[in-house]
Amino acid sequence: MTIPAVCISHLTKVYRGGTVAVDDLSMTIAPGDFFGFLGPNGAGKSTTIHCMTGIAKPTSGKIEIFGIDAVKDYREARRLIGLSPQEFNVDTFAKVTQIIDWMGGYFGMRAAERKARTEMLIDRFELGPHAKKPFRELSGGLKRRVILARALIHDPKLLILDEPTAGVDVELRRDLWRYLQELNRDGKTILLTSHYLEEIERLCRTIAIINGGKIVREGPKAEFLTTGDLEEAYLSATGAEPDHIAGAA
Amino acid sequence: MSAIDNTAELTPMPPMTINWVGLWTMIRRELSRLMRVPTQAFIAPWISAAMFIFVFGYIVGGRISTIGGHRYIEFVLPGILMINVINAAFLQSSSQIYFQRFLRYIEEALVAPFSYVEMIVGLLAMTVVRAVITAVGILLIGAAFGATSVSGILEFLFWIVSVSIIFGLLGIIIGLWANNFEQLTMLNIFFITPLSFVGGVFNTVHMLPGWLRWIAWANPFFYFINGIRHSMIGFSEAPELLGAGFTVALAAILAVVVWKLFSVGYGLRE
Repeated sequence: MTIPAVCISHLTKVYRGGTVAVDDLSMTIAPGDFFGFLGPNGAGKSTTIHCMTGIAKPTSGKIEIFGIDAVKDYREARRLIGLSPQEFNVDTFAKVTQIIDWMGGYFGMRAAERKARTEMLIDRFELGPHAKKPFRELSGGLKRRVILARALIHDPKLLILDEPTAGVDVELRRDLWRYLQELNRDGKTILLTSHYLEEIERLCRTIAIINGGKIVREGPKAEFLTTGDLEEAYLSATGAEPDHIAGAA
Repeated sequence: MSAIDNTAELTPMPPMTINWVGLWTMIRRELSRLMRVPTQAFIAPWISAAMFIFVFGYIVGGRISTIGGHRYIEFVLPGILMINVINAAFLQSSSQIYFQRFLRYIEEALVAPFSYVEMIVGLLAMTVVRAVITAVGILLIGAAFGATSVSGILEFLFWIVSVSIIFGLLGIIIGLWANNFEQLTMLNIFFITPLSFVGGVFNTVHMLPGWLRWIAWANPFFYFINGIRHSMIGFSEAPELLGAGFTVALAAILAVVVWKLFSVGYGLRE
């Protein structure tokens, strides 16, 4: 039997103060899948990702990354994940090359390996002219590229992208889509959250919709498109009214 | 963006034992941050120490008779050095962890394959490095006044390293707890500075009125200053082993507290 890239069972996350961000969530991502994770703001997408990556501590439930327990054997599990978070969690005074190189160091990569990989990623994301600039001097689009390069430095098997194209211009977005498809073709499992339904529809093979901390619909993309477009399926699953219905009311 | 070869094989990572490269990266990274603010990190304590040595040791001390056979400048230098080591250690670890939390780049370490112990060791290693650099600078300043001597180098290193670990650990606790800059400086203002000044930097216990001597004996800073003074000029007012034992025990207790805070994710994880 193939080991899933991600297997989450009955995950619950309750924040101090009692807010239930994730409520008994279970989902599975097959290895090599391009998985779209949709939901309104505050639905629990980022919290689920934070529980998977160690930024948040699950209240209960189990998370396995390629069969490795992400809580008990967290060091082994984390080696397999690359995270591009929604918010820039960076030392804004550090230079682009430092940010990427340090992350490689954190993952135990040796100097020569880090150098080669950093140069490749800087070239790939066209960051060369900005490599020696501090992060805070970069435009929003360039910052996003740095974050993506940082997530890829250790060549993770599972790439988690939390709204990677937010605030990015159309050209970079399309270029990024091509690159992600390329990575996925080469076998990388990708978990993508986005508010751009077009992006999810274009890239993902499997989609899950989360609302109020629970998965309200999950399945292959084709299933979401049998009765209309993804937007209708999304609005229906999250309980929001589609425009034409709301307009008729 | 240009095409790349995504299939390029990376050297497989060795089985997860101790993340030495990660630890070294934590130190490199923090050194790089300190090099952005060298005046604040190193020059300021050196200037401050030089002023204390000059005014209290050289000018005022020139009019004070010897203490235990030592010139006053030689008597005060170890205390001035220890105060600066304590400050350097506390400021290093508290500001390091606080800024990482404040700018959220602590998450870079949280998603990386570090154990809690490695994260703590990484923070403390840099704390000791900064404390040692500060101490070496003050020794050189003292030498310029002809006041530096180290009679027991291993004992001297024990006090520098163990005291910087204690205040590094305290700094981590405050850095995890603080939610603003005001809170970050509280321990320094209300605890570290007052206790270090009454810990025997400028005076012996016997210079205090009898009814006030308990302040010195009950003050942990007294044992740190007494210990470093003994390692430098051989002058001591308390059993050194008592001070050393107390220091090691305090470091061990604080290390357990910090480990527990990391393991529950206090101030670190959501």
